[in-house]
Order: sequence, then structure tokens, then C-alpha cells
Amino acid sequence: MKDHHAHLYRPSTDYSHTDAIGRHVDYLCPGAYCAWRSGTDYLGDQASAAALDAMRERLGLNRPLLEQYFEFMGNALSGDWGESMVTGKSILGEVINVLPYTLELTFVSVIFGVVTGIPLGIWSALHRNQLIDYFVRLMTLIGLSFPAFVSAILLLIIFSINLGWLPVISSGGRDDFIGWFRDLALPALTLGTIMTAYIARVTRSSMLDVLSEDYIRTARAKGVPNKVIIWHHALRNALIPVVTMVGLFLGVLVGNSVLTEIVFNRPGLGKLIVGALGQRDYTMLQGLMVCYAFIIIFINILTDLTYGLIDPRVKYQ
Amino acid sequence: MHTMPNSIQSSESNPDIILDVRKLRTSFRIAGEWHAAVRDISFTLRRNETLALVGESGCGKSVTALSVLDLVPSQNGRIEAEQIQFNGRNLLGLSEDEMREIRGNRISMIFQEPMTALNPVLSVGHQVAEALLYHRDMNKEEANRAALELLDQVKIPSASSRFKEYPHQFSGGMRQRVMIAMALACRPDIILADEPTTALDVTIQSQILALLGELKRDTGMSLIFITHNLGVVASIADRVAVMYAGNIVEIADVDSLFAHPTHPYTEALMRSIPRSDRDTETLHSIPGQVPPISRMPDGCRFAARCDLARPICRKLDPALQQINAGSTHEVACWVRGDHDLTAIEDRANG
Ligand SMILES: Nc1ncnc2c1ncn2[C@@H]1O[C@H](COP(=O)(O)OP(=O)(O)OP(=O)(O)O)[C@@H](O)[C@H]1O
Ligand SMILES: [Mg+2]
Repeated sequence: MKDHHAHLYRPSTDYSHTDAIGRHVDYLCPGAYCAWRSGTDYLGDQASAAALDAMRERLGLNRPLLEQYFEFMGNALSGDWGESMVTGKSILGEVINVLPYTLELTFVSVIFGVVTGIPLGIWSALHRNQLIDYFVRLMTLIGLSFPAFVSAILLLIIFSINLGWLPVISSGGRDDFIGWFRDLALPALTLGTIMTAYIARVTRSSMLDVLSEDYIRTARAKGVPNKVIIWHHALRNALIPVVTMVGLFLGVLVGNSVLTEIVFNRPGLGKLIVGALGQRDYTMLQGLMVCYAFIIIFINILTDLTYGLIDPRVKYQ
Repeated sequence: MHTMPNSIQSSESNPDIILDVRKLRTSFRIAGEWHAAVRDISFTLRRNETLALVGESGCGKSVTALSVLDLVPSQNGRIEAEQIQFNGRNLLGLSEDEMREIRGNRISMIFQEPMTALNPVLSVGHQVAEALLYHRDMNKEEANRAALELLDQVKIPSASSRFKEYPHQFSGGMRQRVMIAMALACRPDIILADEPTTALDVTIQSQILALLGELKRDTGMSLIFITHNLGVVASIADRVAVMYAGNIVEIADVDSLFAHPTHPYTEALMRSIPRSDRDTETLHSIPGQVPPISRMPDGCRFAARCDLARPICRKLDPALQQINAGSTHEVACWVRGDHDLTAIEDRANG
């Protein structure tokens, strides 16, 4: 099977060492696998058998799969993630360069979602089946239904082009707070509103569940003021499913940041991965996979620790 | 006319009466229609008296207690009454703030399910201290100290070390004690105890009953004790109201009730008390079950399960009346009550 794009991506630089997980990525990716095995992707259709062998040797493709895997993992854990097949730059270096941009975007978006979504959900629950509730439910449904790239473009049109308040291209400025904020505002708003919608809906329904629990009636029977019942007795219980959801959707958010970073032309993991995909930079891709895996694991640990903070039934030995 | 039950005594003329409920009707909306779970019941409670509410599951015992404290879910529930007079003050029409002043302070409630009635994320000590925080002029430390004393009083072992623990670390019996400590915190005039022992095994059950009796004697409070077990009633109650399908069908002093159980339902309940001197073969359960509130029959609601039922029973609902003139023992039954049945049946048919 010949790859139609083979001739488009002919790297000029010397991509020397690579690592082993890439093999798995290839195997899972049929077109790439063929191209990879034949080497035609990089060396062209007319590549000589000797050139192909040399490349296989260099990439370690001629060695057993397990050996490739363990070598890669060993290197990765000791901080050697290999170099980009395309640019020859250190993968870890590239990741570390852009990671702060993705993290700050994700972090600010989640904070925004939590700060707006939780009160909105509570407000909605307390006005169940009243106008406010219907309004919040409609707005959050719209918020959920908009793909990030659509809302990003809408925000750009409104705030950058029509009103001219914020920059069109968000370069991730870091010189001063105002610049940082102006660059971050629209991307964070794009992701943040999605988070708001999710969090508000989950908070609403879990708050309604909790408010009909027996222990809320017990608190009322004790004469505890309504405000205390909502903010102290109900909210902590209602937050348990919200934490689960935020943990899950942080992963989604990292995925959504790919689109956001492209629309706003903002540096970050998302842009890196799309660039690598376009250039069939397999070594870079596998490095980014590992990076995403670490992020997801980290988020899960964080989620579990948060459970322990709000729910005394969760104990860590 | 001898259909004037408790209304003969009025709380205005009788300061001995702490709670006077008249014509309480609590309804729930089910599929768009209102159905009464408690239907025009009246009863009084004296100071330092224990009134037992007895009946099978679904008879409206919990709803009655919740209605007194206005704790019926407002989403689909509605309380109507002529009056719910507490200490000479009608609780109906009090604002939410005024009602909150009474809840947990003057009237408190022990709930049916110790497993779900405590907040899982708040410490047990805090949950007991709370009532004091909001009703007494106490700071956190004073409230905590008082709460610790309460936990000691309800005999929770090593209370001081368990103060900061959470409900899931307590057994069912211990949680029920915590609930009792909570209800006692402000030394209320009335405790509504909703099946406080049903979830517990027999030894714990008798400990809790003894504890409640002791506390009632020491504090002079009144108790409404809800149970479906007439056996428990004999040892704790002064008076008993037997409820069936939202009505009080018989109300009497405990001795009178056990000496002359009059309503066929009361008799059936008596037969179903487990007794150690009879083997389980002769333990009678009542055939059939309490109808759901959305499908209540006309006439006497027990008629469908009653061996003595006559045609009139399925047509007209009997009212409570004294079993004989001047008695405090009242029953709502066409057959067993003091009626001229033939005259009534003639009138009903003609
Ligand atoms: N919130 C509610 N919504 C609808 N129906 C209700 C509600 N609460 C109670 N009911 C109905 O009212 C009737 C009386 O219920 P209640 O809880 O008072 O029974 P009970 O006598 O306490 O029984 P149990 O021994 O099971 O506690 C039942 O038929 C019940 O289904
Ligand atoms: Mg009940």
C-alpha cells in the first residue's frame, strides 16, 4: 500500500535516535504503519533497500517490540524523550516550552467554570421549576451544545473584531499582568463557559438530590437557618459528584484546548500535537502521548485527594 | 350527638395541655391530584405525657409528626388544620423564622432512619452542638462542651474521643443515641420520636426505651412515640392513638386500650404482637395491606380487611366517639361503636 502523501513530507534533517512506543502508535495506525515499515514516508518511493535498512537500524525498528518498549520507557523515565524526527529538537524541551501555556489555560478555565458554575447550579436548584431555573437550564444546554471552535470564533468576532477590546491572536504574553490577561481572556472564556455549563448542570441535579435527603430534614428539624443548611449541610455533599465530573472533564478540556489553541493561534500542547500530526512526526507524537498520560494521571490523583478533603468516608492509608 | 372527641377539652381552659391538634389534614400531590395522607385527625398531648401513635406502615404516623413541625416537603405537600396549638400558641401561619425558633428548641424530632438521618460529612459532635448554636446564646466552645455532656447523657461510651468522628463510624444503635442527644439538646417541651427503636436489635431497643423513659421523668417533657409495635407501647405510653390509613380509629389510655381493645383493627394489631409465651405458629399477621393514599376506598377504610364489616361500613366513614358516656376511650367503628346501627342504615338507604 502506497501512502498518497508520502512525497509531501520528506524531511530534510537528520532525525537520528528515536524511541520505542512509537512502534505501538504505528501498529495502531494502519496507514502510518505501512508507510513506516516501507520507509517510503520519509525516504521517498524510490528509496534504496540499503537506505531503508539504515533507517530501520537507526530507529531501532529491527529489534523486538518489547525491547524497543523498555528502552523507550527507561529513557523516558530518566528524562530522555528523544528528539523530533522532523526538527531534531529535544521533545522534552519542546513540551516544557509550551506546557505552561496549556496548563495556565486549563487552570484558569477550570477556576472560571467552578466559580461561576457552582453558584449557578445552586441558584437554579433553589428555584427549581421557576423562571430562573428554566433560564439557567436553557443557557447551560446551549453552552454544552456549542463546540469550542464555534464559540471561540463567535467570541473573536464579538470581542476582538466588533468591539476591538481584546487581541485576535493570543500569543500567551507574559510581560505584565494586563498583557497576560488580555491574551488569556478569550481562550479561557471559550473553555471556561463549557466548564460552567457542565458544572452548573451537575451541581443543580446533585444539589436537588441532596436537598431531599433525610439529613437535610434533620437539620431543618433542629432549627438550623436555611443559609447554613444550603452552604454547610447540603453543598459539601452535593460537591462530591461535582468533583468527579470536574476530574473527568479536565481530560476533555485538555482535548478541547487543541481547537482553542489553533483558533486563537496560541502556543500550547494542542498546537504542538496538531503540528506533529501534520508532519507525521511520530517521535514527537509519542512524546506528547506520554505527556498527556502523565497529565491524566496527575488529574486523577488530584481528584482522589479532593474527595478526601470533602468526604470523611474516604480515607487514605 | 356524641361526636365531640377531644374538642371538649380546650387548651385555653386547660394549661396542662401542651399540644392541641385539631382537624389536621396533610395531603400530597401525586400525578397532579391531591390525596390526603392524614385526614382530619385531632388529638391532645399533656405535659409530661407519652402519647403513642400506632399503626402499620403507611398509616400516616410520620406525616402527622412532620406536620406538627411543618416539615412536610413543600414541593408536593400541603398541611391544613383548624389549629395546631402549642403552649397556647397556634403554630399555623407562623413565619418560617418563628417556626425555626420552635424546631429543635421547643419541639424536636427523632427520625425513623438513623442510617440516613445524620449528615455523612459533618462530625457527630458538631451535629449535636448545632441546635445549641442556633437556639442558645452559646459560642462554639460552650456548645461543644454541652454537646459532649449530651453524648455522655445518652450513654455513648468514650464520648469525648468519639466527638469528632463521623456518622459512618457509628453503629445503628449509637447513631440513634446521637439522634436522641440532638433532640434533647435544648431541653424541648415535646419530643416527637418516630420509631426510634425499629431499626435496632432487641437489647439496644430496650436500652433506648429505658433511656427515653428516664429522660422524660427527669426533664418533665412530653413525648409522642411512634411505632408499629403495640408491644412496645405497653411499657412506655400513657395514652395510645391507633391510626389506620390517615385516621385515628381508636384513642384511649394505655390500660383501657389493652383491657378493652375495641376497634377490629386494634384487635388485629394486638393479635400480631409477638409474645414469648406463644409460639410463632399462632402469631397473626393482618391479611391485606394499607391502601395507598391515591386509592382510598369510601366509607371505613378498614372495611375491606375487616371480618365484621357491614354494608354501611363501605358507605359511610364512622367518626370517633366515646365507647360509653364520659369515657376517654374513643373508637371510630360502626359495629363496635355505640351506635344505633339499624337507624343509621335505614337513613343511609332511605
Ligand atoms: N412526600 C410524600 N409524597 C407522597 N406521598 C407521601 C409522602 N410522604 C408520605 N406519603 C404517603 O403518605 C402515607 C403515610 O406515610 P407515613 O410516612 O406517614 O407512614 P407511616 O405510618 O409513618 O409508615 P411507616 O411505618 O412505614 O413509617 C403513605 O401512603 C405514604 O406513601
Ligand atoms: Mg414512618
